[in-house]
Amino acid sequence: MDADDDDFVFYGTPIEREEEMTGRKKKAVAEAAGHLRSLPPWKQEVTDEEGRRRFHGAFTGGFSAGYYNSVGSKEGWTPQTFTSSRKNRAEMKQQSILNFLDDDERAEMEGNSLRTSLQFDTFGFTATELARKEAEKEQQKRPSAIPGPVPDEIVLPATDSIGVKLLLKMGWRHGHSIKDSRTNSLYDARREARKAFLALSTDDARALHAQSEPVKSHLESVSEQSAEDDAYASQSTPVYVLNPKQDLHGLGYDPFKQAPEFRGNGLFHFAEKKRLRVSGNREPGNRKSNLNKDNLFSFKSGKAAPGFGIGALEELDAEDEDIYASGLDFEETYVQEVEEPSGMSRDSKQKLVKNEQGVLPGFKNASNSDYQLERFNPPVIPVDFKPYHKFCAPLEIESKLASPAPPEVPPPDDSNLRVLIEGIATLVARCGTLFEDLSREKNKANPLFCFLNGGNGHDYYTRKLWEERQKHNGHRKLQVDMKLIPNVQKMTAESRGKILGERPLERSSTNSGSSAAPADVIHLQFNLSDTFTIPASLGDFPRVAKPFRDDPAKQERFELFLKEKYQGGLRSTDSGGASNMSESARARERLDFEAAAETIAKGELNKETEPHSSQQFREISATANMHFTPGGLEQVKIPEGEELIMKKIYPKREEFQWRPSPILCKRFDIMDPYMGKPPPLPRVRGRIDSLIFTPDFVRPTKAEETVAANKNPLPVSQSEPQEISEEMTSREIEIELKNTNVERPVDLYKLCTFTEAIFSDDSDDERENSSLNEVEDPQKKTEVANTTLNRLIAGDFLESLGKELGLEVPPDLSYSLNKASTPPFQNETETIRTSKGDVNNFSFDEKSSSTHKAVIGTFRGQETAYGKLSHPEITREAASDGSELASGNKESSGSKTATGHSENNSGKVKLEKIAPEDKKTKPYSRWSRSSTESSEDERRRHSRRHRSHSSSIPLEDERSRKHSRRHQSGSCNSDSDYSDEHGSRSKGGKKGSSRRKSSREHSKHHKHGSKDYPSKSSRHDTRREHSEAKKESRKSRDRGREPVSSKAGSYKNNR
Amino acid sequence: MSGSELPKKEVNVLRGHEGAVLAARFNGDGNYCLTCGKDRTIRLWNPHRGIHIKTYKSHGREVRDVHVTSDNSKLCSCGGDRQIFYWDVSTGRVIRKFRGHDSEVNAVKFNEYASVLVSAGYDRSVRAWDCRSHSTEPIQVIDTFEDSVMSVSLTKTEILAGSVDGTVRTFDIRIGREISDVLGQPVNCISMSNDGNCLLVSCLDSTLRLLDRSTGELLQEYKGHTCKSFKMDCCLTNTDAHVIGGSEDGSIFFWDLVDASVVSSFQAHASVLTLSSFSPKFSSFFSFSVSISVSFQSP
Repeated sequence: MDADDDDFVFYGTPIEREEEMTGRKKKAVAEAAGHLRSLPPWKQEVTDEEGRRRFHGAFTGGFSAGYYNSVGSKEGWTPQTFTSSRKNRAEMKQQSILNFLDDDERAEMEGNSLRTSLQFDTFGFTATELARKEAEKEQQKRPSAIPGPVPDEIVLPATDSIGVKLLLKMGWRHGHSIKDSRTNSLYDARREARKAFLALSTDDARALHAQSEPVKSHLESVSEQSAEDDAYASQSTPVYVLNPKQDLHGLGYDPFKQAPEFRGNGLFHFAEKKRLRVSGNREPGNRKSNLNKDNLFSFKSGKAAPGFGIGALEELDAEDEDIYASGLDFEETYVQEVEEPSGMSRDSKQKLVKNEQGVLPGFKNASNSDYQLERFNPPVIPVDFKPYHKFCAPLEIESKLASPAPPEVPPPDDSNLRVLIEGIATLVARCGTLFEDLSREKNKANPLFCFLNGGNGHDYYTRKLWEERQKHNGHRKLQVDMKLIPNVQKMTAESRGKILGERPLERSSTNSGSSAAPADVIHLQFNLSDTFTIPASLGDFPRVAKPFRDDPAKQERFELFLKEKYQGGLRSTDSGGASNMSESARARERLDFEAAAETIAKGELNKETEPHSSQQFREISATANMHFTPGGLEQVKIPEGEELIMKKIYPKREEFQWRPSPILCKRFDIMDPYMGKPPPLPRVRGRIDSLIFTPDFVRPTKAEETVAANKNPLPVSQSEPQEISEEMTSREIEIELKNTNVERPVDLYKLCTFTEAIFSDDSDDERENSSLNEVEDPQKKTEVANTTLNRLIAGDFLESLGKELGLEVPPDLSYSLNKASTPPFQNETETIRTSKGDVNNFSFDEKSSSTHKAVIGTFRGQETAYGKLSHPEITREAASDGSELASGNKESSGSKTATGHSENNSGKVKLEKIAPEDKKTKPYSRWSRSSTESSEDERRRHSRRHRSHSSSIPLEDERSRKHSRRHQSGSCNSDSDYSDEHGSRSKGGKKGSSRRKSSREHSKHHKHGSKDYPSKSSRHDTRREHSEAKKESRKSRDRGREPVSSKAGSYKNNR
Repeated sequence: MSGSELPKKEVNVLRGHEGAVLAARFNGDGNYCLTCGKDRTIRLWNPHRGIHIKTYKSHGREVRDVHVTSDNSKLCSCGGDRQIFYWDVSTGRVIRKFRGHDSEVNAVKFNEYASVLVSAGYDRSVRAWDCRSHSTEPIQVIDTFEDSVMSVSLTKTEILAGSVDGTVRTFDIRIGREISDVLGQPVNCISMSNDGNCLLVSCLDSTLRLLDRSTGELLQEYKGHTCKSFKMDCCLTNTDAHVIGGSEDGSIFFWDLVDASVVSSFQAHASVLTLSSFSPKFSSFFSFSVSISVSFQSP
């Protein structure tokens, strides 16, 4: 097979031939040198910095072969040592390895070579060495007058070591101690003591010691080395050096171990001697001599030879100097050898004494340390500080209160003026001086208001104003005090929680018996999520109108619901309704309640004057609603009667738009249902997590939007160009046809299912069943409609535009047209219409208050986000359009259907009750919507603005944009999204209650059918034929309609 | 059909797989069968005589599902290597490999004309592949599922797929609709009734559910077996009178379709898991388990 070639599987990497690697490829490799890192190591090529290849392999020239890569000439290696010229004598050239290295290699070598740097020549040794060497060289080069080597001492280091430089910069001078001259507080004392000691000193050190015992002790307590003075500073920097091993014993061997007495008996031991020397150094006389010798030319003068024959008690003098000592001047340091305590030495004795005190060997306890813990006092609190925060408003008030009271003035004679003044004063006191300015501005011409400008009655006005302010402030202050003081004084966690609307978790007792531990956990979680309700402080408890006046029990439940809704806290499990209610009924009621509460809240808010704040509030409450009150209530119950509920809920059928690819249709030998049509709108994705009673607001919407965003732009852009050219002729017809077109797949499907349903029933029950089916129809169809309507958004949009332009679409026309064409199909559209009509209608038709509420229920949560911009919007629209208000209405009605028809999911619950009436009234009711209704739309749209997504934009024209419907389709999506959930709720409830029986029957029938298989199959066949035939006719009809429909579709897209 | 007519007798045990058997499918007329398993092979058998005919090896990982065209000329298989293999039955060569699934492919089916392959994968998508062109790109990707798609079934005009997200989705190509039946329980396997009106759905809550396809109603539930963690097939008998399902304890259950009573159940396999498969025209069926053998049951 020809296709088999690409089916081979290759494992591993094929061997690359060498020739393939030549030429072009090599060049490519060179070019891709930047990418070399990404290559595997064996493919990488080493190049020098000029891009030359470095390694050539053993058989292609070896390392660094060739003229360009290496030393030498073009000819190769030329001998450099031999030059044949007579004149230019070959000079012996010193060859070094550097001659044979490339630049880069040289650089590399240099980088690697270890060298000393003057920079780090701390002690100046290297510098000295260098200078010396240089001098030597120079001397070698030109013989000097003085023969012989230059004495070391003459050659001085050219530079000071960096350490010396640093020290010099820090103020150190040669010959001085490095230590800070005033480091510690003891310094002065020590100095004084030493002065006294020196003054008292005689030649006899012992006498001195005996005499100045207190001073001595003091000195030693400080530290031994601190006994130095500035005079000895040049020798004074202490360097602690370990005792170098200078004997010939083995490591750690102590010859005096067995005979310590020898050690103490003045036997010669280097260390001992040294110690003696050190102590001797400290003696004044010796010190002086040392000092004298301490110059350049007497380096070794102070050194005592580590020789023999010096007893412990012998004095050191000049002849003991160690002439063989090394350059290291240990003598300048105080080497303290504590390892070998000597009983004879005074110092060691003292040290021993010290050691007994539990101090580290070699250390002494400081008698008093200069380190003191510094304590800072806490900042001083001003006396007038009061530990609670005052808000600025009271502050302002107080400042105003502080203003002196104007004198009491008798009211003006004119009672009218008096009343006016008092009124104004009250207002100003309440609203601030802004009002005063405003009224002054406004009534400049009015002589009655001249008191504002200092005219007649001004004094009275000021007095009155002051009084009013006083009063007002007093009132407010009281309020503030009431609010603030208790909060401040006992703000505990509980009280805070109360303010925030929390309530401690508690397990509801209803669940405890039946549910197991995991269920409890779930319950707790739900409780948690439910704990946070809208804080009571957010809004006043809405004055409860009694929406359920006719049903006292229900009203009671509603009030309970409201209380829980607005006052926060946990919801008890059976808050939704009476315990005897069925699940579905309760759910529905809950929806009703929500809706009613929302309307009440909205009405309340509408009264408020400031639109901005109210809108904000609504948004807040909406979000709060979203975040904090997912209806965890019903979910909690699922564990209880899971079986029952599951049966009621599931299976749940949803329908969505799905577009098979044309080739799939072709392969399935089916006509593409979307042939020649623009791609459908992104469908609302089903969500399994939106289990019936959980309006999970946040997440699904988001997902939805992203999905929509993903799906939308491409198809639209595809279809747009070809359809732009199309004219929008005979708009009305197209509009209608478009509707039918979009719905066509549905009704085709329905047709099939209907026929199936009808024909699959047994003959006995056929009649009954068909009727049954018909009864079910609206419900079924509304389900279908739910999804269809999502697609219809654009259609309605179009319609609305048509109406805006003044092209009335006679509703009767479509109705009759539909009716005439195909009954089931008509039914289909009918239901859609009715559902739309329902939603639109109910608030105005006084059909039944309960349905009204129910429908409003669908707005739950949507209306929480209502803005108040609706009215200006509408009027503006109307004005800009130049048409009458009706057009605005119509337009908004269109958009209402756009946004609203997705809501008919929930409207559908009611649908069954009022469907018959509705069918009649629908055409009229649809268009006879009042402006308030449309204003609702507007409002919703506005409040939805933030949810919109960009993908919606290509769908609309500029016109709609001008009317600030920018985000309509976005909002549509979210709307439908939202209402889908509601729909599922109500659907679940509905199914649970009413469809049980019918489904039972149905299954019975089915079982019958399956038992007598042969007969049934034949019937199946006939049925299939039937449906096929119908389909055929349908198809032909569709085909006939195709051009128009495509045009309509394109029109839709154009927009 | 009474209980006695049920296929309870083990006719043959098909031995040869070197690992767990993951699926067994009859061919169109029921004369042959194909099994596939964790040993990365597909085997063709004559179950009636217990003869192993051919082994198809090319998969790199376990083979999870296999399907054969109605004319027995082509095979398709899928598995853990994320590819769908399109085989020539007689030569045993791979004609094409369809790559595109992002993870394991759970199920694969031919359409009626063997022109399209539909596969369902763990990557939450159902993909349709064109067998006629040389393209190896999917001609349709359905990614509305929210979890792994476990099972797929085709009619002349529809694609049905059951997913772990608890939905059975029907994609009707004629009208371009997706109908989603939410069951609330992870769906393991879907199996169409022979009259095409009902759908038997095996859910992971140890329940088989019978749905009316036209309305989405739940017609019956069948319980008693254990099915909680394994993918297990279920099917209806040829007459649609009984429902067959396997249980994780190795037994096979027969339920009456109408009253959902367990007509019969017997231990077919000693090992943990049993699955059952089709019963084409000979009213016989398979059971197979994680053990190596496939037993062939017949009345």
